[in-house]
Amino acid sequence: MVTTDPFTTFGVDEFADDQEIKRRYLALVRAFPPDREPERFQVYRAAFEALCDERKRLQASVIKVNNVALSRLKLRHVASAKPFSARASKATVCALLIEGAAHACSPQVSIPLT
Amino acid sequence: MNLGQVGRVRMGISGVLQPDLFPEATVTPHATRAMEAMRLGNFRDAVKLFKQLLKQESRPEWSEGLAQAYAARASQLAAKGMFEEAQILLDNTAAPDGTVRDPLLYVQCLIKRGQHQKAAEHALKYVGTSKAPASQVSRLGEVTAALSLAASIRWDGTTDQQSERGRWFEQASAAQQALAAWLEGKPHEEIDRLLARISLRSDFKALRLILKALISAAGDPDRARQLMDAIPEQSAFASLRLAVEAALAAPAGEFLQGGIQSSRVRSFVLQVNGVADREFQSLTELLKAESDGPGSLFSLLLKQAETRSAADVRNACLNLLPRVPDRLSRFEKTFGPLSEFDKSRVLAMAAEARPDWSAAGRHWRVAAQCLENSHTQRAKLSVGVIYRHLAELADRHQEIGGNEDGPAVAYLERSRSFDPDHLPTVLRLIAHYRATDEVEDLNRLLKEALELFPREAAVLLQALDWAAARKDLNRAMDLAHQLLALDPINPLARRRVIDLRISRAHELMRSKRADQACKELAEACKVELPHAPSFALRINQGLVGLQVGEGQEAEARLREGVDLAGGGVCGWFRAALEDVLMHGRGDGSLLRRELADAQKTPPTKEAILSIASATDGERTRENMGSVVRLVSRIRGWLTKGISLDWSVAEFQPVAKMFRQVKDYRLLANYSKRALDRRPGETMWRLYQLVARTKGDCDKLSEPEARELVAIAEHASARDRFRDAKLIWDFLESDENFEQVEDGDGDWDFEERINDLMEASVRDLSPERIRRIVAKHGEVEAIAIITKKLQKSVLGVVLRDEGARKLAKEMVDNVVASSGRRHSREFPW
Repeated sequence: MVTTDPFTTFGVDEFADDQEIKRRYLALVRAFPPDREPERFQVYRAAFEALCDERKRLQASVIKVNNVALSRLKLRHVASAKPFSARASKATVCALLIEGAAHACSPQVSIPLT
Repeated sequence: MNLGQVGRVRMGISGVLQPDLFPEATVTPHATRAMEAMRLGNFRDAVKLFKQLLKQESRPEWSEGLAQAYAARASQLAAKGMFEEAQILLDNTAAPDGTVRDPLLYVQCLIKRGQHQKAAEHALKYVGTSKAPASQVSRLGEVTAALSLAASIRWDGTTDQQSERGRWFEQASAAQQALAAWLEGKPHEEIDRLLARISLRSDFKALRLILKALISAAGDPDRARQLMDAIPEQSAFASLRLAVEAALAAPAGEFLQGGIQSSRVRSFVLQVNGVADREFQSLTELLKAESDGPGSLFSLLLKQAETRSAADVRNACLNLLPRVPDRLSRFEKTFGPLSEFDKSRVLAMAAEARPDWSAAGRHWRVAAQCLENSHTQRAKLSVGVIYRHLAELADRHQEIGGNEDGPAVAYLERSRSFDPDHLPTVLRLIAHYRATDEVEDLNRLLKEALELFPREAAVLLQALDWAAARKDLNRAMDLAHQLLALDPINPLARRRVIDLRISRAHELMRSKRADQACKELAEACKVELPHAPSFALRINQGLVGLQVGEGQEAEARLREGVDLAGGGVCGWFRAALEDVLMHGRGDGSLLRRELADAQKTPPTKEAILSIASATDGERTRENMGSVVRLVSRIRGWLTKGISLDWSVAEFQPVAKMFRQVKDYRLLANYSKRALDRRPGETMWRLYQLVARTKGDCDKLSEPEARELVAIAEHASARDRFRDAKLIWDFLESDENFEQVEDGDGDWDFEERINDLMEASVRDLSPERIRRIVAKHGEVEAIAIITKKLQKSVLGVVLRDEGARKLAKEMVDNVVASSGRRHSREFPW
């Protein structure tokens, strides 16, 4: 998981307060406990450290750029999404199978998996 | 050429070359050359040579050699991305049934050329046969399985169902049906039944696991993840696995944040999450523009400004502006003029990205000034944030100057004036003022900090240290107790209390109040943690006890302290040092005897380092004469330490001790032996030159100074900044500053002023100033030299502004004269 800025990682806006940040952090840690998802936890921890007080939030919003508004625009497109509620298209699956076959033909190339 | 391609070529060479290819009897000069060309990887020549051999005589070994050369050359071309050429070469190796020498490469060439159906058909030629090389059988099977599903290959029914090929097609049929059932959204039970027909030993095992994961993902994502773990990274199904894992790992649109790079994987995730077609298209467009760069995204967003949420589109564009500052006017045309603050902020970030630090500093200062008159808390904190950012930039880039000397500190002070509660800034300023001996500022800041943060351990600790450094033991003790009240198990605070009480006991001993000293040390014992006894406390208790006639009990305490301090020479040295520091009036025979006895044991690095650490402290510096005498008593023992194999880093504190006690001969001997051992370790040369010049850098010859500068630059280039700093510190050391002698009062005023000026600039030779400028840059160099002038005798008669002007003039002169022959004359 690559994140661009701590606001986007947490999915909160630039004016979120301490309470909201804390609530969101705890929810994420509950959903992805550090013992099961250590890398993801590190990302959330870093984002929390970057947003845990007002000065840090100002630092993240005044002297750095963020993708909060862009993320909101993107999320609007997937507002109705529900995990595994539908099927992928045959074309997409076939494209992935062919991509995998091409990679497998190279003896020492493997696809870096998450 | 990627790793895989390199690997393939290597495999081609090693796998193709067969030592028994040519029987001894058939080896001809041509054959030898062909073999050599193969060995060297010169497959094009090998192909030509084998063709010639075949023209001369059609032998099977020449045909075999030619096929091998074709296959290896094909690998080389594929590694360069020349798949069509590689395929043509492999066609030359085709058997009558169409099978080729390197089927995996052939299939790869066809896939890369977009001939997926043909690739699947070719791969199927090897199913149930032994025509594929043994090393490729397993992988080729899975590749064929994946391709047969993607290309929807149908079993023609002519193959015997009981044969291996027949069974493979049966599995393929089951896999196709299961995949089709999932794609069509059939019930899970039906898919499950179809999956049960796929053997876990077949080439379609990975598909069974993936489909099983997909139908169980909504209800049991953990189980789905476990199923995915069973598919290896090299599998032909790895891309599909990656997509399923991305869908499992990315709830609530998290995957839109840029973590998933492949558009196929992203499409898969969006589709299985049920994103509508129209939204999917629109989102894909947005993501594509994002991957194309900020300019494309900015243009797309501007087009959508009227159709989408205007506020979000504006903010998204505003955040893109620092990366595309040339679109500023277009932004303002669409959304209206930007505030002065936002404009400066955008320009500052754009300048940082270029990077243009001077412009960045200028724009950030304007941004801060825009908010300085605002009275809201958020605005004040924002100003504080900007000035702290400027301070950080000023630390790294000398171009961020402003109009003041020491810009980083000035920015921090400015940040504090808008945001006084920011503790890290206060602590940083305290550390700076302590390091630069700016007593007035330090006192002011500590006073304010203690009022603002009365319960902050870090502030109390700083105040305590400063009080102790000023010998205000009562105040220090008071602060230490406050600190302990706040944090009773703070080991650092406890150590400070013990040290302070020991210092006070020393004072009492010096004023012949041994009884009071005993009580002071007994009080110190109360804060000692049982599991962390203090050797210094035990030693002092022993020494004081011996003086008040406690006899054996005191000696036992002393010995306990010595043992805690490491025993041997280092333990007894520490005891003798404490005795020196308290100006002990005992006969000292016990200490002398024990220290002499201990020296019969050869030195170790640890023991010498412990002694070096003992001599490095404020209290020892104040009693340097006695410390020098004490070190001279173990000189013979220290001399034996020359034979130890010291590294430069280990030796640094030892070198510092030798400099402090001015034992330059020992320093010279250590560094000479070390240079004999490791001539390449140039840092020893520094110590050799320090010893030769007796620590006075002005005694360095020009070549020696240049040699040290070169060593420092070399160390910096290799990120050994500590070594470089050691050298620069020596080159800039001003040990002679304090050696200005008072005159006899008979000179006239003008002569006296001239002498004062000369004395003040004596250690600021052009060479030294050039080094300061080279290391710190002009702005910082002016600040450093100003401080040096202020501290010198000239500082008494020169106002701050005057010192600054003089420093600036000195730096300007040196900069102007750089390029000319270096002169040791003073140009001012």
